Amino acid sequence: MSQSQTKPQRRKLSAGPLSRGDKWFFRTTSAAAHFAFVLVALVLGFLLFQAWPVLQSQGVNFVLGSTWDPDSDPMVLQLGPMLWGSLLIAVLGILIATPMAISMAYLIVFMLPKRWASVATTLIDLLAALPSVVLGLWGLLVFTPIAAGWAEILNKYLGFIPLFQVTDPENGFMRSPFIAGWIVAVMIVPIITSVTREIFSQLDRDLINGALALGGSRLSTFRRVIMPTASSGVVGGVLLGLGRAVGETVAIFYVLNLSMEINWMNLVEPHGGAVASWILARFGEASPLEKQGLMAAGLVLFILTLIVNYIANVIVNRAQPWRKNQ
Amino acid sequence: MSNSSIRARQPWRRANISTSIQIVLASVIPLPLVMLLALLAGLDLTMSFITLFVPLQLIVSSFVGYRAFGRRGIGDAILVVLTIFFSTFVLILLLSVLYSVITEGAKAISFQFIGQNNVYVSPTTSLDYGGVGHAILGTLIVVLLTTLAAVPLGVAMAIYLTQSQSKTRNLVRTFTQALSGLPSVVSGLFILSIIEATQMGRSGITGSLALFPLMLPTVARVAEEALRLVPVDLRYAALALGAPNYRAFFQVILPAAKSGLLTALLLGLARVVGETAPLILTMNPSSGTNLNPFDGGMTTLPTYIYNYLASSYQTSQARAWGAALVLLMVVGILFALARILGKSKSKKSKATK
Repeated sequence: MSQSQTKPQRRKLSAGPLSRGDKWFFRTTSAAAHFAFVLVALVLGFLLFQAWPVLQSQGVNFVLGSTWDPDSDPMVLQLGPMLWGSLLIAVLGILIATPMAISMAYLIVFMLPKRWASVATTLIDLLAALPSVVLGLWGLLVFTPIAAGWAEILNKYLGFIPLFQVTDPENGFMRSPFIAGWIVAVMIVPIITSVTREIFSQLDRDLINGALALGGSRLSTFRRVIMPTASSGVVGGVLLGLGRAVGETVAIFYVLNLSMEINWMNLVEPHGGAVASWILARFGEASPLEKQGLMAAGLVLFILTLIVNYIANVIVNRAQPWRKNQ
Repeated sequence: MSNSSIRARQPWRRANISTSIQIVLASVIPLPLVMLLALLAGLDLTMSFITLFVPLQLIVSSFVGYRAFGRRGIGDAILVVLTIFFSTFVLILLLSVLYSVITEGAKAISFQFIGQNNVYVSPTTSLDYGGVGHAILGTLIVVLLTTLAAVPLGVAMAIYLTQSQSKTRNLVRTFTQALSGLPSVVSGLFILSIIEATQMGRSGITGSLALFPLMLPTVARVAEEALRLVPVDLRYAALALGAPNYRAFFQVILPAAKSGLLTALLLGLARVVGETAPLILTMNPSSGTNLNPFDGGMTTLPTYIYNYLASSYQTSQARAWGAALVLLMVVGILFALARILGKSKSKKSKATK
C-alpha cells in the first residue's frame, strides 16, 4: 500500500490573523460599540460648550442660589429650588412606589399561579410602556382633582406635621409636589418591580420552603430570609427608579406649579420645582443667553443621573451574579 | 393495616372548609360596611378605604389566621393582606389611566379625526373638523428615521458584546447602561446645542436625531439578550466547519435570533414613539401635513397632545384625549407584537430542550 506510506502534509495551525471578511466584521462592530463612548462624550461636550459661559459667570451659585432672572443685567440664573424640588419629588415618588413594587413582585413570584403571574407581568410591562405625555394628561385631568382631595384631608388631620402644612388653604391643593410625587411613583413602579421580580425569582426556593417548614410565617420568611438576600438588588432597582424620576419632564410639567420660591418640605403646598420641567417651561421664550443657562441645567441633570445610574447599575449587577458569567 | 388508611396527607393544607368560609367572610363583609359608613359620614372614599378598611381587614384576617393556623397565621395574614392591598392599588392606577384614555378618547375619535390634518383648526373648532392625520405621519417619519440609524448600530453593539472577546466589552456595557439613563429632555438639549452651534434649521430630522440616543441603548440591550439566547455550540459548530465569524453570524446566529432581534426593534420603537420633551425642543410644530423631514416643522402624536393640553378649551382637551388614544393604540400594537414574538421564541427554545 503505497498510499499510506506518504506522510500527510502538516497543517499550519494559527490563531492569529483572521480572514479579511472577519477583520471587517469585527472592525465595524467594534466601531459601533465604541460609539457609546463617543455619544456620551458628545452629549457632555456639546452641553458643556454651550453652558460654559453661564457656569463661569454664575459659579457655584448656579446650583445653590434661588433667583432666575434673565432680564436683569447681569443675568442671574440660579437653579437651587428646581434641583431641590426634583430630589423632593423623586424621594416622595420612591417612598410611594417601593412598597407597591415589592408587593407586586412578591405577588407575582410567590403567590400567583403561573398563568396569572404572566398576566400580572404583562400588565406591569404595559404600565412601563405608557408614554409620559399620556400620564401627564391623565394626571392633569383625572388624577389631580382626586389627589388634591387626599392632600386636603392630609392637611386637615395631619396638618400639625410640617410635611402637610400649607401657608394658605385658600390656594387649593392642586399642582403640589405631592401630586407630582404620585405621578412619578406610577412611572417608576414598573422599573422597581421588574428588578425585584427577577431577583425574587432567582432566590433559593429550598431556603424559603425550609423556613416555612420550620414554622415560619410568610411574614417572618419575608423579613428574615427573602429580604436579607434580595435587599441589595432591590436598592439597586430603587436607585434606577430614582434616576428615571429625576429626569421626568412632561408629566411633572403638567401637574406641578413651578416656582423659584423654594419649597423645602411642604408637600401639599401648591408650588415646587423640577429641573427637567423647568427646562421645558422656560425654553419657549428664552433668549439665547437664557438658553445657555437651560443647557447648564441640562448638564447638571445629566451628571446627576449619570452618577445615580452608575451606582444603581453596579449594585444591580452585583446582586445578579447569575448574569455575569453568561 | 389496610392500605386504605394510608392517605397522602398534606399537613401544609390545613385550611378546611370552615376556615375557607371564614377567610372569605372576613375579606368580603368589611367592604360594604366601610363603604356604607363612608357614604353616611360623607368621607372621601379612597381615604376611608385606606384608614378604615385596610386596618380592619388586617385585624380580622389576623384573627382568622390565628384561629386556623396558630401564631404563624398572623404573619401570613398580615403579609397577604398588605401585598394584595398594594398590588390592587397599582392595578387600579393602571386601569384608571387606561379607562380614562379609552372612554375620553373614544368621544373624540372618528375616521375624519384619524385622517385629516389640522390646517384650519382653532382651539374652539368643533370636533367635526380636523384631526391627527398629520401627527400620525409625522410620528411615522421621525421614528422611522431614528430606527434606520439606531437599530443597525444597536445590533452591531450587541454583536460586539456577544461575539467578540475584546477587553472593552464591560466598559461598553457600562456606557450603554449610562446612556439608557439619559433623561429625554437632556437628549433634546444635546441636539439643540448642536443646532445652535451649527446654525442648522429645526426640522423633522433634528427631532429624530434627538430620539436616537434614547432608542440606541434599548435596542442594544434587548438585542444583546436575544443573541445570548442562541446556544454558543451552534456558533462553535459553524466555526469548526471552517466558516469565518461573519458568515457564522449571518448564516447561523442571525436566523436563530431573528425574532429576538425583532423584539429589540419593537421595544425600541415603543420606547421612543411616546417621547415628547426632546421633540418639543428640536422641532417646530406644524398644523399641516409635512412629508419632508429636512425642511419645515412637523408634529408628532406626543407633541400634538402637548400642544392641545396647554389650552384649557374643552374641545382642545378632547383632541388631546383622542390623540392619546391613538398613541396608546400604537404603543399597544407594538407591545403586543413584541409579546407574541417573545412567546413563540420561548416556546421554540423549550421545544428544543
